[in-house]
Amino acid sequence: MTGTQLEIQLIAAIVAIACAIPGVFLVLRKMALISDAISHSILPGIVIGFFLTEDLNSPWLILLAAVTGVITVVLVEAIQKTGLVKEDTAIGLVFPALFSIGVILIAQKANDVHLDTDAVLLGDLTFASFDRISLGDIDLGPKSLWVMGIILSITIGLLVSFFKELKVSTFDAGLSSALGFSPVVLHYGLMSVSSVTVVGAFDAVGAVLVVALMIAPAATAYLLTSDLKKMIGLSILFGVSAAIIGYWMAHLLDASISGSMTTVLGVIFLMVYLFAPDKGLIAVMYRQKQQRTEVSLLTFLLHLNNHTEESERHINHLNEHINWQRVRSQTVLDLAQKNNMITITDSIVELTSKGKEFTDLALEYIITNKDEKIEHMKDDFFLFRG
Amino acid sequence: MEIKEYFSLVFSDYTLRTITLGTAILGAICGMLGSFAVLRKQSLLGDAISHAALPGIALAFIITGTKDTNLLLIGALVSGLIGTFWIRGMITKTHLKSDTALGLILSLFFGFGMLLLTYIQKQPNANQAGLDKYLFGQAATLIEKDVTLMAIVTGICLVVLLLFWKEFKILLFDADYTKTLGFNTRFIDILITFFIVLAIVLGLQTVGVVLMSAMLLAPAAAARQWTNKLSVMIVLAAIFGAFSGVFGTAISASQNNLSTGPVIVLVAAVFVLFSFIFSPGRGILFKQIRFWQNRRDLKLQKTLQFMFDIAKTHEDISHPHAIKILNNFQGFTRGSLKKMEEKNWVEVKGQKWSLTQDGYSAAKNLYTQE
Repeated sequence: MTGTQLEIQLIAAIVAIACAIPGVFLVLRKMALISDAISHSILPGIVIGFFLTEDLNSPWLILLAAVTGVITVVLVEAIQKTGLVKEDTAIGLVFPALFSIGVILIAQKANDVHLDTDAVLLGDLTFASFDRISLGDIDLGPKSLWVMGIILSITIGLLVSFFKELKVSTFDAGLSSALGFSPVVLHYGLMSVSSVTVVGAFDAVGAVLVVALMIAPAATAYLLTSDLKKMIGLSILFGVSAAIIGYWMAHLLDASISGSMTTVLGVIFLMVYLFAPDKGLIAVMYRQKQQRTEVSLLTFLLHLNNHTEESERHINHLNEHINWQRVRSQTVLDLAQKNNMITITDSIVELTSKGKEFTDLALEYIITNKDEKIEHMKDDFFLFRG
Repeated sequence: MEIKEYFSLVFSDYTLRTITLGTAILGAICGMLGSFAVLRKQSLLGDAISHAALPGIALAFIITGTKDTNLLLIGALVSGLIGTFWIRGMITKTHLKSDTALGLILSLFFGFGMLLLTYIQKQPNANQAGLDKYLFGQAATLIEKDVTLMAIVTGICLVVLLLFWKEFKILLFDADYTKTLGFNTRFIDILITFFIVLAIVLGLQTVGVVLMSAMLLAPAAAARQWTNKLSVMIVLAAIFGAFSGVFGTAISASQNNLSTGPVIVLVAAVFVLFSFIFSPGRGILFKQIRFWQNRRDLKLQKTLQFMFDIAKTHEDISHPHAIKILNNFQGFTRGSLKKMEEKNWVEVKGQKWSLTQDGYSAAKNLYTQE
């Protein structure tokens, strides 16, 4: 591994971390799409900044473009406040318009400079380590490493100092304002940090992929934990691993680094989406299936409780009466028997005392419809949780 | 080329005619279907789908090795639909919210698409150039075949729309009621989503992946401001869309180095801005004017109420009083006094005013509305 390769990976990792931190809060605050809007609409800011400074890594350009990002947020909120359209439409109207202005400006004025429309969408990490800062004769490393490093340290500094305020305002805006932390200030603070990060990362990964780096690690982590600190930690982990694996995959395929980073993120997300222990697709489907059977069991027991005549309690009767298929009836019967709720003698089903108790509790739940009744029941009768 | 020249050439020049017709049809179908997207609060679905279509285009090229537009669009359609259903799965099966799901699909699919595109570019295959026109769109590459395809799809879409009109409408405004009526809501839902995806895919070649969502939203959002009726909104959106297409093409053709997609989007944005400000019912301007008017009326009535309170303590309600006593009363101005005189509520003589019988009964009925 050469020094350049190491530097590129380092930049990619730092970009990933810097994006993951604000991303967590955006996802939790249901504002994930704001990052999409910001990342597109900073383009005119970047182009104008570029005309003024002639340097894509100049701090002035980053500030100017970040201001455009914040303006987008303000604009979206202003449109939304008029009540003419819903929030999502407001977002969808503002950013394509600003992005179009940016694209036209590039095509008109900046055709022969480094800033072209491909770079806008894709960014380029490959050359990031050629643009270096040096102090006198001493080489201080790539410029974008410094830029992103500074942005990252500011983000971490803000995160640490305002962690509890951010936490409160994210989960309970009302409580937060009652406690005296203005949600508005925190909101715009978060928006500003996001804008600055997006602008900084823009050069490396481009307009659309910055969205992936913000949302995907956070969303993946959100499927695995409900603890904010763990979520931040996990998103950073996912971001960094995607950066490094993505780099080597791009190396192998000779394709775009940012595209391959996003693809790795996508694969990680897909895996977690499918296999996450509690909130993954398979777990959810399995749980839903179990719950369906549990409800069927309840229905079945209630039915038994209601009928004393033998004809209603014959095994074969179930298929006709409750309209279940054969397999389903069998599953329910097995489950009930395993839990000692029923006994079967000569194909006639009978409730045991435990089954009777369970049914009575279930009835009580149905009548009162209070959650605590059923929670209690779940503990007393283990059903699947054996 | 001047804009005037463009309009004189548009009927005779083959290329211009094709492109203009193409963008017009595209604008119309997008406006039509975009109305549904906007009203269903799925505005950003279009953005996600259009980005999600990119890997489909790239994969279709890798598999077939041809650049036949129709084949690539089928790839885009498939991957767009996969994206749509995955978004849906995420929202219903996990606790991720719709914004996160949209953002995820949008960026992850797009990133994968970009990976494939850059991978294709490096392949020793002479046939590959030009796939990136799907990023920003290139209306100039439209040929008659593409336009015919668009026209056919628009036709089918219109027929389906008319056929399922009441189902679409009822699902839009009251999904639960639709279900209780026994309609297959799932089928209707999928049908309309399918057509939205189809419209997006058709537009990819012209306005590109990135800006496609605006094409869908902007005409519909503009049309929404002028009416509260679905049918009118859809017709208006189609008209706005078509005009954005034509004007956008005209402007970009009349200037050098101006790509059509962004210009169309900006023209559509101008339509939206105009509608936001000037629509008589909902527009900001008239809303503000109505607000001022109401405030003036209220002030007038407050003054009248104040006069009434004074007048009713006198035997003769038209007993003259000094204007001075109104001075420290909020809402009173010379203008309001004059207006009240016009309405025949008061009579002003010199520095004195007196309430008329009309004014007295108007004030009496102010709160009771008898």
